[in-house]
Formats: sequence, structure tokens, C-alpha cells
Amino acid sequence: MNTEAKKVLIVDDEADVLEYLSSLLEDNGYRAITAMDGREGMEKVRVEKPDLICLDITMPEETGVRMLRNLHDDNAVSSIPVIIVSGVDPRFKDFIEHRKQVNPPAAYFEKPVNQQEFLSAVKKILS
Amino acid sequence: MINNMEEWLRLKILDEVPLLIAVFDRDRNITYANSRFSGKFGDWTNKKCYEAIKKASAPCSGCEVNNCFKDGLPRKFEETVAHRDYLMVHAIPVFDSQERVTHVITMSDDITDIRTEQMECAIFFERVPSYISVIRRDLTIIKANDNLRDTFGECVEKKCYQAYKKRNAPCEKCPAALSFSDGQEHTATHVGIAQDGAETHYIVTTSPLIKGYKDCQYVVEIMTDITRFKALEAEKLEAERLAAVGQTVAGLAHTVKNILMGIEGGMYIMSSGIENNRRDRIHKGWNMLQRNIEKVSSLVKDFLSFAKGRKPELKMVNPNDLVSEILELYTETARSIGVTLKRGDMSGGDEIPLDKEGIHTCLTNLVSNAIDACQMSTAGEPMVVISVREENGAIVFEVKDNGVGMDYDVKQKVFTTFFTTKGGKGTGLGLLTTSKIVQEHGGKIYLQSEQGKGSIFRVEIPKERLYAMMANS
Repeated sequence: MNTEAKKVLIVDDEADVLEYLSSLLEDNGYRAITAMDGREGMEKVRVEKPDLICLDITMPEETGVRMLRNLHDDNAVSSIPVIIVSGVDPRFKDFIEHRKQVNPPAAYFEKPVNQQEFLSAVKKILS
Repeated sequence: MINNMEEWLRLKILDEVPLLIAVFDRDRNITYANSRFSGKFGDWTNKKCYEAIKKASAPCSGCEVNNCFKDGLPRKFEETVAHRDYLMVHAIPVFDSQERVTHVITMSDDITDIRTEQMECAIFFERVPSYISVIRRDLTIIKANDNLRDTFGECVEKKCYQAYKKRNAPCEKCPAALSFSDGQEHTATHVGIAQDGAETHYIVTTSPLIKGYKDCQYVVEIMTDITRFKALEAEKLEAERLAAVGQTVAGLAHTVKNILMGIEGGMYIMSSGIENNRRDRIHKGWNMLQRNIEKVSSLVKDFLSFAKGRKPELKMVNPNDLVSEILELYTETARSIGVTLKRGDMSGGDEIPLDKEGIHTCLTNLVSNAIDACQMSTAGEPMVVISVREENGAIVFEVKDNGVGMDYDVKQKVFTTFFTTKGGKGTGLGLLTTSKIVQEHGGKIYLQSEQGKGSIFRVEIPKERLYAMMANS
């Protein structure tokens, strides 16, 4: 594996989504790491310092919104860009972009994602 | 002794009688008054009746004492004094030898207290926001307040069932008849027909006019109109139903999106495996596809069972038998994964009206959840206990486990659509369906849970409601 490759953390409670996105990203030259909820996500963020986070919103233990707040509150990691990949109502995008307690996400994708658009957004954000 | 008594009667009786006594001559002069009279009206000597009683300077128009002088007939009339005192006056003429009326004696009873109470009663009777009537033993209304007349039309002299129900036969469960027969108060909820033909729901309380006597002649019916509350209740249910539909559709979309993402993932991994000739990927992708297609089918199944908006089909069922069935069904499955399924209290009593299939679904959901909760826990000796008992007129089913338990957040969300802690395994509809079925039975579901210690789900259904639903169906 390319050690220069950019590292992407995928946070989702669905194992299949983790499998899919990590395969997709690794096939396109990125390094993928995964977490099953917001709590595990924050642990991985602090240890692995990823270049990008793909974050689901609805998760049973700690939600994506909570993780966004935790990222915002931690100066060491608050600059890491976040792509939201979620099945929640599209109106959530407007809501989350205007919250003071979180940084606006770098991109927003509704499940199921369009592969090409998703990959070009990742590429653009990481360049 | 007798002399003394006669003396006492002659001198004292007029002052001791609890009446105001006065004697008037033809010129309206007071010629005698007892001490009660002077106690009330003050010194009367050399005063005309209107001066002493009314503190007026001229005779009253239509003076009944004067009429008594004219026609020589005794009379009884009511007199108001100073706008606040009420007297019931008996006027008796006194004749001379030529049969002329020389004097009139008035004996007046102070009825101020009675009148005040009567007026208060009249105000209550007319102004209280209820329908009030007094009915006779033959169920004829003899008195009705304005409220009652406004809603049901002229009712006096009609039978209560004609007035309220527009019907020619007494009601089957007539609370008034009960009050007439046992002399006690009774309450019932009825639906009547207003004079404009509208359905009117009311709660009626019947009170015998003399409580405790079985042969009382009159019963007072007080009815509270609950039509508006019924309408609000229906509106609220409809609003809740619409909100639930909205939530359900949104939740469904979310779940379907996740499944689609899994299917697309499976397709991607499988096709990239075919392209690069990697059997491991083909295998993995195929598994993902299978898993997600299974999810679609269980989602559709659960969703249909949730969406089945039907009235419970009530039949007489022994609740103990229902619990035994569930125990039989799950004991083996539970044992195979190391969970003990135990029979708890089984004092469900006799047969009661239940929708067997519905309650079966509820208990199945609760028991399989409890088994899952035990599996997620690391505590030793995982156990699920099902019990059924009768408590305060309700049938109570209880499913208790010593599994993972829930924290505050989870407890808040367990009964909401598509919430699941089981990741891809759950559809998030089980508990929602359960609480819906319990509600359809007129019952409630309660949850007690502590993280790390376990949970208790308790289903409580008042038996009275079950019988009422059975009677209405």
C-alpha cells in the first residue's frame, strides 16, 4: 500500500457501507480506515489523524452530529474536512450547514452515492 | 299551675311564636305587634304599616292587607323588604258583629335563608355548563334547565329516552332506573341525539332526590356534554396518525437508502472482482447482495405487519395459554444460544377478550428482543422471564431480561419508527408494532431499563376496555 496515500476515515454503523466505501476508495488509491460509530470515530481520528472523514449521521451509539461537534471542539482535529454520507432527509444539509456548533461539511452526499461524483469530491477536497 | 300556664299563654305566647305578628286597623295603623316584629322593624308605635315595615311615606300599590280589608278573605303572599329580606305573610281578617273587617292580623315567617338558597340553586340549575333534569319514576322529565332545552329541545313531560335518544323505548343500561331501584348514584356514558340531529356524547350521573331510599320518587340527572372532547380526541388521533405516516415514510426512505447503498456496494465489489478476476471479491460482493436483499424482504414483512391498520379481533382467550405458547416456541431457540427462558408468575386468571394473533406478535417481539439483549450482554447466566397476572382490573404481561439494558437516549427512542440498536439485523419496527397493537387493545406499554442490568417491558390492558370493545364490535 502506498504510504503517501491520503488517509480517509469512514464512519458508519452499516458494515456493508464500510465495506463498499473502503473498497471504492482503496481501488482509487486512498487508504481507508473504518469506525462503527461516533465514539470509535473520534478515537480513530485522534490516533490516525486522517486527511478526510466520511461520516454517516444516524448511528445508534453516538450520532454523526455529536461527532461533528466533538471535531469542532477539538482544535487538534477541527480542520479535518468532513464529507457527510447519509440517508437522512436532504433538508438536513441546510440545517447542518448553518449550525454554529459544527464546521460546515466539505460535501454532502445522500445514500446511495453516485460513485463518480463522490470520487471527484474526495479528489477535489484532498488536492 | 294551670292558671300559671294560662297566664303565660296570654302574656307570652305571641312573643315566643317564631313569627312576626302585627295587627293593622283600616287606616293602616299598627295597633299591636309582637316583640319579634319590633326586633326586626324597630319601634312601631304611632306608625302606619308602610312606615314601620317599608320605611316608606306612602302606602304600597296593590297592598295585600288593604285587599284583605276589601274582600274579607284570608291570604298568603310573599313580601320583599329592603331588597334583601323575604317574608311569607299570612293575613287574616278580623270581623266585628256586622261582619265588617275591623282589623287584619299578619303573621310573617322570615324566609330569607330559604329564598337565598333557592335563588342560588336556580342560578346553579340554569348556569352550570351541564344538562340538568329531574325525572319521575316513570322516566318522565318534570324539570329541565335551559342548557338541556337548548340542546335537546323542549323535554318537560317527555320520557327521558324520547328527549335524549329520540326513541320510544328505555335505554338498556339506564342509570336512572338503577338509582330508582337502589337509591344510589350511578354514572354512565351515553350517546344522544340533539334536536338538530347531531350525535351528542355525554356522561350522565343520576342522583336519587333522597339518597339511600329505594322508593324515591325523583332522580336528578346531571349530564356533561363531552361531544367536543370526543371530536378533539378524534382529531388528535387523526393528527397523530398523519404524523406517524409522515415519520414512517421518512424512516422508510432512510432505511431503503441504506439498503440501496448496501446493494450498490455489493454490485461494485462483485463487478470489480469479476473485472480483476478476484474470487474473494466476487464472493464478498455476492454476500453483500444477499444480505441486503434479505433486509428488503424482512423490512417489507415487518412493514406490512405494522401497517395492518385493523381493529383487534377479540375472542375469549386464556392469557396463560398465550404465554405458554410463546414459552414453547422460544425455549429451544433461546437454549441453543445459551439463554434460559423461564416461566414466571402465571396468574392471568380466566379467559378474556384478546386478539390472539396481535398479542402473540407483541409477546414474540418482546421475547426475541429480550433474547437479543441477553446475547449482547457479557453478564453470566443470561435469562428471560415471561409472566402474566391480573392487577387492578388489568391483564399484565411482563417480559424481563438481565441483558444489556438501555441508556437514557435509547430508552427515549425505542418506540419510534425505524430505531434499532441491532445494526443491519433489525428493521426498527418491532417495538413500534408492539406498542401499536397494545394501544389498539386500549392498553399501555411500560419500559423499565438500566444499562448493564437489563430491561422489563410491561404490557397493561384494562379488562373493562376489552369487554367494552367486544360489546361494541
